[in-house]
Amino acid sequence: MSRGNVILAALLWAIIAFFVLYPLSILVLESFKISGTDNWGLNNYVEFFRDTYYLKTFGNTLLLSTLLLLTTTIFGVPLAYILARYRHRGKTVFTALILLPIVLPAFAGVFAFIIFFGKYGTLNLLLMDIGIIEEPVNFIYGLHGLVFIQALHMLPFIVLGLSAGFTNIDPSFEEAAEVEGASGFRRFFTITLPLCTPSYLAGAVLVFLWPFTDWLTPLILGQVDFLPSVSYINISYHFTDVHRKYMGIVATVVSAVVCISLFLLARWWVEKRKYTGLSKGTTSEGRVVEPSPFVRLGAYVFMAFIAVLVLLIPIVLGLSAFSRRWVFEPFPTYWTLENFRLILLESPGLVKNSFLFSGIALLFGIAFGLPAAYLIVRTRVPGKDALDFVITLMLAFPGIAVGVSYLLAFWQGIPLATHWIIMPLALFARRLPYFLRMAHSSYLQLDPSLEEASEVSGAGKIRTFFSISLPLLLKGVLVGVVMFFIMAFQEISTAIFLYRGGWETLPIGIYLNWHRGMEFGIAAAMAFLMIVITFILLMIISRIGGGVLKAAWGAGEN
Amino acid sequence: MAFIEIQNLYKCFKKVVAINRIDLHVQQGEMLTLLGPSGCGKTTTLRCIAGLEKPEEGDIVIDGKPMLSKGFVPPSKRGIGMVFQNYAVWPHMKVISNIVYGLKIQKLAKPKIKEKAAQVLALVGLEGLEDRYPAQLSGGQQQRVALARALVGNPKVLLLDEPLSNLDAKLREELRFEIKNLVRRMGITSVYVTHDQAEAMVISDRIAVMDAGNVVQLGTAQEIYQEPANRFVADFIGTMNFIPGEVVETLKDKDAVYVKTEFSPRLLCHRINHTSDLSGAKVYASIRPEDVEVFPDPPTHMENLFQGTIIHKAYLGNFLNFFVRVKETMIRVQVPHHLPQGEGQELYLFLNPEKCVILP
Ligand SMILES: Nc1ncnc2c1ncn2[C@@H]1O[C@H](COP(=O)(O)OP(=O)(O)OP(=O)(O)O)[C@@H](O)[C@H]1O
Ligand SMILES: [Mg+2]
Repeated sequence: MSRGNVILAALLWAIIAFFVLYPLSILVLESFKISGTDNWGLNNYVEFFRDTYYLKTFGNTLLLSTLLLLTTTIFGVPLAYILARYRHRGKTVFTALILLPIVLPAFAGVFAFIIFFGKYGTLNLLLMDIGIIEEPVNFIYGLHGLVFIQALHMLPFIVLGLSAGFTNIDPSFEEAAEVEGASGFRRFFTITLPLCTPSYLAGAVLVFLWPFTDWLTPLILGQVDFLPSVSYINISYHFTDVHRKYMGIVATVVSAVVCISLFLLARWWVEKRKYTGLSKGTTSEGRVVEPSPFVRLGAYVFMAFIAVLVLLIPIVLGLSAFSRRWVFEPFPTYWTLENFRLILLESPGLVKNSFLFSGIALLFGIAFGLPAAYLIVRTRVPGKDALDFVITLMLAFPGIAVGVSYLLAFWQGIPLATHWIIMPLALFARRLPYFLRMAHSSYLQLDPSLEEASEVSGAGKIRTFFSISLPLLLKGVLVGVVMFFIMAFQEISTAIFLYRGGWETLPIGIYLNWHRGMEFGIAAAMAFLMIVITFILLMIISRIGGGVLKAAWGAGEN
Repeated sequence: MAFIEIQNLYKCFKKVVAINRIDLHVQQGEMLTLLGPSGCGKTTTLRCIAGLEKPEEGDIVIDGKPMLSKGFVPPSKRGIGMVFQNYAVWPHMKVISNIVYGLKIQKLAKPKIKEKAAQVLALVGLEGLEDRYPAQLSGGQQQRVALARALVGNPKVLLLDEPLSNLDAKLREELRFEIKNLVRRMGITSVYVTHDQAEAMVISDRIAVMDAGNVVQLGTAQEIYQEPANRFVADFIGTMNFIPGEVVETLKDKDAVYVKTEFSPRLLCHRINHTSDLSGAKVYASIRPEDVEVFPDPPTHMENLFQGTIIHKAYLGNFLNFFVRVKETMIRVQVPHHLPQGEGQELYLFLNPEKCVILP
C-alpha cells in the first residue's frame, strides 16, 4: 500500500467529511435541540409524532409512495416485457421516449400537465367543445393527479431495471419451465418475474422513495400535506417560527432516515440474491417473442399511450413558450418570442448562473470523482469501501435534506453560505454519485495489466494514470461528465434553500415565476429552454457513443 | 414403429440452415446420441423434439402422435423431460421446489408429490439436500437436480443437451455411467446430445453423427468406428490416416480393390459397401493408426508392406505414437508395446487389407 494512496484517501475523506458528513450531522444535531434552551432531547420528535397533522402527513406520504409504486409497477411490468421481448418496429424510438423522463426535470412535467390537463386546460376545453362533458373534469388536482405525474416521471426506473432483467435472464430457465408443463402466465409469475426481482427492486426502491424527496410537485398541485413539502414550507417560510422550523427539520430528518433505511434494505436484499452469477452464458440474444397481431396491436397502443404522455411535456411547454395569454383556449392563438426576450432581458443571469454553477460543480465532481474511482477500484486503502458506501448513499438522500443541512451548517458556524461558491459546492455534494459511478464502472472494465505494463516500463503511478488510464477511460468519463452536468443543471431541491438575490438558477427562476404568480408563459419558456439544453447534452452523450440509457442507468442505479 | 420418428425435418434461422431435412428413428427404450462438431445442429434437433423450436418443414411423431402435422403440440403437452446444458436449475427455488414444479402443475395430490420427490431424490443421490438453494450446491449436484427434475414426472422421452459439458473430467466420467444406468433402469427413450465422442460411445445404444445439419451416419459405436461412412465421420470419431489414391482394379466379388497411391502402385484395400465397380474413382485409402502393424525387419511374402522412416516418436504412457514417412506420405502409427527404433531409423509398416478401407 503506497503512501500516496493513503494521503489521497485521507484527502477525499476530508472532503466528504467537510461537505457531507459535517453538514448532515449538524442537521441531525439540530433536530435534537430543545428550542429556547441549550439542551438536547427527543422533544421535537415526540412533538412531531404526537401531532396529528404531522402524523397525517407521514401517512399521506407513505400512501402516495405505495400508490406510486403500484401504478409504476402495473404499467412498468408489461412495458418492460414488451420492450425486452417483443420483436417490433420502432423499438429504439419507443424505448427512448418512454425512458426520457429520467433526464427531464420533474417540474417540467408538472407545468406541462397543468396546461394540458388543468381545469381549463387543453383537454377539458376540447372535450367541452365536442360536447362530451359539460363541466371541466378534475384530471390532476388531487392525489390521483399527483400519482399520475409522479408515476410518469418514475416509470423509467421500473422499466429500465426490469427490461434489463427480462433480457439478461438465461432463456433456458424459462424453457425448462415450459418443458415441465408451465405455460404462459404461470411461467411468467413463477419463473421469469421472481428471477427479475433484484433488477426490479433496484428501481422500485427509488420509486417508493420519490414522494419522500419530491416537494415541488405536490406544492404546485396544491397538495402540501406530504413530508418533503411540509419540510420545505416550514423551513423556507416559517424559519422565524421556532416551532414550525423544528417540525420542518424533524420532517426532513424523518424523510432522510426513511430513504436511507429503505435504500439500504433493498441493497442488502438484492446483494443477498443475485441470480445472474448462476447462469452460464448462452449465445442466444435472450428470448424474443413474435406476438400475435392482436397482441402486437395492443402492445403498440400501450407504448404509444405512454410515449404520447411523455411527448406532451416538450410539446406543451414549447407551445406555451412561443405564445402569450394562452388561457381558456385549447391551443395558443398569439405567437411571439416575447417570453424569451423577457428571459434574456430581465434575467439573463439565470442562464449564466445555471451554466456557471453546474460547470464549477462539474469541475469539483471530476477533481473528486476520478481519484475516488481510482482509489475504490484499484487500491486496497482501508476505508475505501466505506467511501464508496457513503457516496452511493447520496443517491437516496433527499435534496431537501442536503439543502437544509447546508443552510444550518454553513450559515452560522462556517459562513460559507455568504459567498456564491456555496451554490456549486452544494450541487457538487448533491450530485456526487453520478459522475463517480460512471467513472467507477468504466474503471472496472479497464484491464489492470494495461496499467501494469506502463508501470513496468518505468512510468510512475501518476504518469500512468494520465497517459494510459485516462485516455482509455475517456469515453465513460465523458458520458459521466455530461450526465453530471444534466443532473446538476436541473437541481432545485438543494439550491432553493441556499440561493440569494443574484444567484438564481434556471430551475429556481422557474419556481419563482410560478410562485410569484407571474405569467406562466415565462416559467414554461424557461422549462422549455432547459429541455432544449438537456436534449443537446443528450445528443452529445449519444455522439460520444456511451448510450443515453446506459449513462442514465449506469450513473443512477448500478 | 419407432417411438420417436423424425421425418424430413427442416429448420433454418433466417439464412442459416440448422437442420437439413433429416430422418431419424429412435426405438422405444433406446438411448440415441446426436454427435457432431459445434454448430452442426444437434441442439436444434433436440429443441425441435422438445417443441422449443418450430421447424419449417417435416414432422416429429412421438409414441404415434404427430407433434407438428396435426397442429403444433407445445412443449408442456409432449410428456418430455429435459436436461439443459447449463442445467437451468431455477436459482430462486429450493432443490425440492425445483423438482416438484412439474408435479404441482399436473395437480398431483400432496402425498403423491412427496413420495415421488423422495424416490427421485434417492435415485439421483440428493437425499438431505432438498432444502438448499442451487447456489449452495456444487456443479455436479446441480446437474443431479436437473436430472431429477427431468425424471420425476415419468416422462415418455428424456432429452439431454450436453448435460456433462460443464463438469470437470473426472466427474464427467463418473456421471456418464450413472446416467446411463439410471436411464436404462427406467427404460426411458432418450436422446442425448454431445460433441464428445468418448461420451457418446459409452452412453448410447446408437449414435447419429451429424454434420452441417445432416445425419451422416447412424449406427452402434462399433459400426461407426470400424466402418465410417465417409471421411468426416472417420476423422471425427478417433483418428484416421487418409491416403489419397485412385482405384485401379475392383476384385470380382467387389469387396476389395487395388488403389494406386503415391508410394504404391497396388495397395489392397477393403470395401464396406460393395456393389459397384469403382475402377478409376479417386478415393482415400484409410487406416487407423492402431491398425497399422510395424516390423523392425521385413517379414517375407506379405502384401501391403512398406518401408518408411521414423520422423517423430512420442511416448504416451500406455502406447507409442509414430509419424512414419513412406516415400513422401506421412502415416500415423500407434503401437501398444515398446520399440527400440528411434527418430531417423527405418521401419516396415503393414497396412492390413482387412482394416484398410476406402472412403470417398
Ligand atoms: N436462435 C438462433 N438464431 C440463429 N441461428 C441459430 C440459432 N440457434 C442455432 N443457430 C444456428 O444453427 C446452427 C446449429 O446450431 P445448434 O445450436 O443446433 O448447434 P450444436 O450442434 O448444438 O452446436 P454446439 O455443439 O456448439 O452446441 C448453427 O449454425 C447456429 O449458428
Ligand atoms: Mg448445442
